[in-house]
Amino acid sequence: MTDLRESKADIWIGGGLLAFCAFAAWRTLRIKQGFTTSIAGPSFVPWIMVGATAVLAAFLILRALRRQRAAGADGVAVIAMPDRRTLLRLGVFALLLAAYSAAFFPIGYLPATLVTFVLGLLLIGERKPWLLIGFPVVMTGAVYLAFTELLSVWLP
Amino acid sequence: METLSYLAPLFQLDVMWTIALGTLGGLIIGALPGLTATMGVALLIPLTFGMTPVMGLNMLIGIYIGGIYGGCVSSILLRTPGTPASAATVLDGYPMAQRGEAGKALGMATIASTIGGLVSAVVLATLAPQLAGVALQFGAPEYFALALFGLTIIASLSGDILKGAISGILGILISTVGADPISGVMRYTFGVQGFASGFAFTPALIGLFALSEVFTQIERIGLREPAITLVKNRWPSRADMHESRGALVRGSIIGTIIGIIPGTGSGTASWIAYNEARRTSKTPEKFGTGHMPGIAATESANNAVCAAALIPLLALGIPGDVVTAVLMGGLMIQGLAPGPLLFQTNPEIVVGIFGGTFMATIFMFIFGMALIPVFSRILKVPRRLLTMSIVIFCFIGAFSINLNPVDLYTMVGFGVLGWGMQKFGFSQAALCIALILGPMMEANFRRGMLQAGDDLIAMLSGPITLLFLALTALSLCWPMIAARRAARRTQTN
Repeated sequence: MTDLRESKADIWIGGGLLAFCAFAAWRTLRIKQGFTTSIAGPSFVPWIMVGATAVLAAFLILRALRRQRAAGADGVAVIAMPDRRTLLRLGVFALLLAAYSAAFFPIGYLPATLVTFVLGLLLIGERKPWLLIGFPVVMTGAVYLAFTELLSVWLP
Repeated sequence: METLSYLAPLFQLDVMWTIALGTLGGLIIGALPGLTATMGVALLIPLTFGMTPVMGLNMLIGIYIGGIYGGCVSSILLRTPGTPASAATVLDGYPMAQRGEAGKALGMATIASTIGGLVSAVVLATLAPQLAGVALQFGAPEYFALALFGLTIIASLSGDILKGAISGILGILISTVGADPISGVMRYTFGVQGFASGFAFTPALIGLFALSEVFTQIERIGLREPAITLVKNRWPSRADMHESRGALVRGSIIGTIIGIIPGTGSGTASWIAYNEARRTSKTPEKFGTGHMPGIAATESANNAVCAAALIPLLALGIPGDVVTAVLMGGLMIQGLAPGPLLFQTNPEIVVGIFGGTFMATIFMFIFGMALIPVFSRILKVPRRLLTMSIVIFCFIGAFSINLNPVDLYTMVGFGVLGWGMQKFGFSQAALCIALILGPMMEANFRRGMLQAGDDLIAMLSGPITLLFLALTALSLCWPMIAARRAARRTQTN
């Protein structure tokens, strides 16, 4: 675990939110007005929300800057961040889930789940062979049978 | 007589089994640190597909009730709250476990949860129909004001009001993706057909509350697990019960009242009940050292919230807390819209839910008392296997709702977002409630504006609308007032 100053994180998040607002504003301009005669058209609420997000993001940055200035000997609030290795593991895990999402429908539940299960267990540090192979096989099969046979849920 | 006939399906064997299994599943999920009742309900919503509404919804309610109760297990045995609702139980539960009285502490927690649950179930069955009767008079402006009031829940749900507000507003913005509710114009779909009806609600919830927790679990893997205390005896003595009776009654009442107020939730209720029990005790110095009334107060309060939080959900269509927000997903899957009309169109389901709440509370008591000796074994489940099993359930759950592969990406996206939000102090609950109330607020605001010919003052001038707007203002100002009062109190002390 490494510590990250909360104020520093807030400045980055606020900046990211402002950039997101700029993008959202550009997309909101492209919303068609439809046939409504009311001033509250399809883009009315989105505009309010984009504006409010931008204002609050600016507040977040200002608050973080003020806290940074005020923080002295009393210490600062920190966020416990995973170390680089764990962060990398989390990133790879997210990619594995994205790949599983892509494979779930075209390849089918059974092979996609089995491969993801084994790779996932490997990634999070499971090394016992009977757990690494045996548990995914039993679990994947049991879940498949339970959903398709007992609950009548179709799985690819 | 008619009401009794609505209760008959509850006593069918398959329905009773489902409620019992849901309660047991919730209890186990709640007992495992890091897995919450919210996650349990979100994860197991897909199991309700093939079930009748009464069966499916009561199974989810069983998970909710069992999950909130189950949180006390790791609070008492591990000093790690299983759910946020049980955080206050640690104060007296763990010292008791250290003294070798874990069984008695768990026994008291079970009895207190049952009493709290039953009290609030009675209030649910009594109050919800009355409230629904009033809500039937509501039009678009009233619903807009009600949704706005519900959205101010965000202020109370988040420790950091600014970050809570950002989460809520982002939630409303996300809820605008897809076809506009009035004119059908597409918004932010980027030409992807799968987004025409917006982000699918249940996959988003599964991502926010279940998959995000998987990332958190992966972060923790490798950290040393705390030692688990052995459990002996389970029944509190008559003297313990006598000493705790005041705390039990007060906790049940506080939990019920707090549950009815949208957004406050079990965590708030248990802390308030704990403080109240200590304030009114003749021996306040014993609190925090392993004192039975401390456990009685927190556990009766947090389980009293469960049924009470269903009151605003069923009667007004506004979730009482974050778990009931997720429960809304279960109602939607059954093709039901919570709100006053449900009492007229589907009275058998409403009465079935009332009865199911009682039944789940009783199952919770039976399983709770029976499992006390084996709780320490439940906590030894291998973390890695559990984590990957949750992933598989998340995927099946997200896919099986619409059989749409796009929902899997939605779930993974919301999972990563949820983890990030959790990490940097943004409220996932606020985002979730905004996803529900955002469309309700927008549609009713625009409908109201159309009816009032774009005259905002005329639209908002009804007495009920004004009442809700006043409550909204109060709810927004309350954290500031409370902070000022606390600061003044500290100065005085």
